Amino acid sequence: MTRRISKSKRFYMMNPIIQFFKFIYLSIKIMLIVAGGHGGTRKANY
Amino acid sequence: MSKIVILGAGISGHVAAAHLRRKLSKQHEVLVVSPNSNYQWIPSNIWVGIGRMKSEEILFPLQPLYKKKGIGYKQAKVSTFHPEGDSETEKPFVRVEYVAGEKKGQTEKVTYDYLINATGPKLAFDMTEGLNPGTNKAYSVCTYTHAEHAWDALNDLIQQMKQGKKAKILIGTGHAKSTCQGAAFEYILNVEQELRRHNVRDKAEIVWIANEPQLGDFGMDGMLLSYGNNIMKSSEMVEMVFEDRGIKWIIGAGVNKIEDGVAHYETLDGEYNSETYDFAMLIPAFSGHGFKAFDKNNQDITEKLFKGFMIVDADYTPKSYEEWSVQDWPETYQNPSYKNIFAPGIAFAPPHAISKPRVSKNGTSISPSPPRTGMPSGITAKLVADNIIDAINGKNNLQHKGSMGNMGAACIASAGYGMTKGSGISITTFPIVPDYNKYPDTQGRKLSKTFGEIGLAGHWLKLALHYAFIYKAKMRPFWWLIPE
Repeated sequence: MTRRISKSKRFYMMNPIIQFFKFIYLSIKIMLIVAGGHGGTRKANY
Repeated sequence: MSKIVILGAGISGHVAAAHLRRKLSKQHEVLVVSPNSNYQWIPSNIWVGIGRMKSEEILFPLQPLYKKKGIGYKQAKVSTFHPEGDSETEKPFVRVEYVAGEKKGQTEKVTYDYLINATGPKLAFDMTEGLNPGTNKAYSVCTYTHAEHAWDALNDLIQQMKQGKKAKILIGTGHAKSTCQGAAFEYILNVEQELRRHNVRDKAEIVWIANEPQLGDFGMDGMLLSYGNNIMKSSEMVEMVFEDRGIKWIIGAGVNKIEDGVAHYETLDGEYNSETYDFAMLIPAFSGHGFKAFDKNNQDITEKLFKGFMIVDADYTPKSYEEWSVQDWPETYQNPSYKNIFAPGIAFAPPHAISKPRVSKNGTSISPSPPRTGMPSGITAKLVADNIIDAINGKNNLQHKGSMGNMGAACIASAGYGMTKGSGISITTFPIVPDYNKYPDTQGRKLSKTFGEIGLAGHWLKLALHYAFIYKAKMRPFWWLIPE
């Protein structure tokens, strides 16, 4: 069954104040994942 | 002194040129050869395609910047590769043909010590009969000029809808083997929001058509991601968004022919169907450029350099899907036959797809090709530049590695433009190529680094990245602090 976006969830998604803090959180989280490094895969303990 | 020639000035070529110039002394030459006169920030093309950004906001001319930074530049396209030189020229070279200016049409040998092939893909519209941007009411957003034309046509349609016309809009992939579903996904959501902004949403039927076996595959076999406190499949997330926006979908569809306002396609069930439309945006198949290579005796050695795209340090042994391994994917993007040639970004030949290959009942292969978007293009270009710098400094150990099987990616998919009404779907995935041995219980991905978020913050994030990456591309002060 298809999940739906509830009214409360939509409020959360579009509220500028909540989303401002979300923006800060996402920026840091994405930065950590993206800048978290990369490497090869062919050594046993990469 | 070394001479590094970079073919292409897209995300990958430009990143490589910028890092090489910054880190190498001026006694070494960095030369970019590109048929394009402008750098364009491709992820923002979708906003040009809905009329919310002008082309000038997503591009800038290359020549003045390169001149200022001491990077050589030739507006030319490469035609042949000669990695051993020839009877007249001892050094390896590429033959290029100028495409603009006084030298237009003239060819020239460009010698090199190191060559970075960052030519990206050829937009293979010709692989789908009748698919040509601007004809048959079908458009593209793959370049800024395509996106401008798409907006002109969409705007015309919106004006007609304001007069009462009912319209059908078809957006997705235009070939059974297309990739880059993400761009089409962003565009369909942006178009839907723009129709609401113009108060004509009720006049439009919007349909998604894609070669994906299920929604949210994105050419990466889909993903399991954390969404708030839940764990959700990407297919469920996309379905939730499409349901919310009233978008219908056709999946497992290989579009094979476009006529005026009609898309013909075959499904994985083997059925041949067609879909009419008033406006379509369909992503074409991507292919290699069909380059030829020759040895010093002028014998054809194309198979040593190219397999459609350029051959690099991947394992190209044909294998079944069950035998695919994350270790098949390249780490250094170095050509195994010619160690001074590299192909980062989209220019390298992938060892195989990421999504499970699927064939229709009629034997037609209908499944997405592997995506290689902006972020991995930038990362692989930087590591190639770093390995070349090491080699110039006498260290030939290729210590900089970046397999797409050990690299995260962020995809901030715009779902609508606007500082207060906009929306974005922020998705990160780690690794890009699923590692089923390392993460067997979470579909090959690390769940703490694979998540999705929907909301206004996603739009702000995409807009912030737009300005940050254009700042970086213009090599403004401390540009290198912004990660790829």
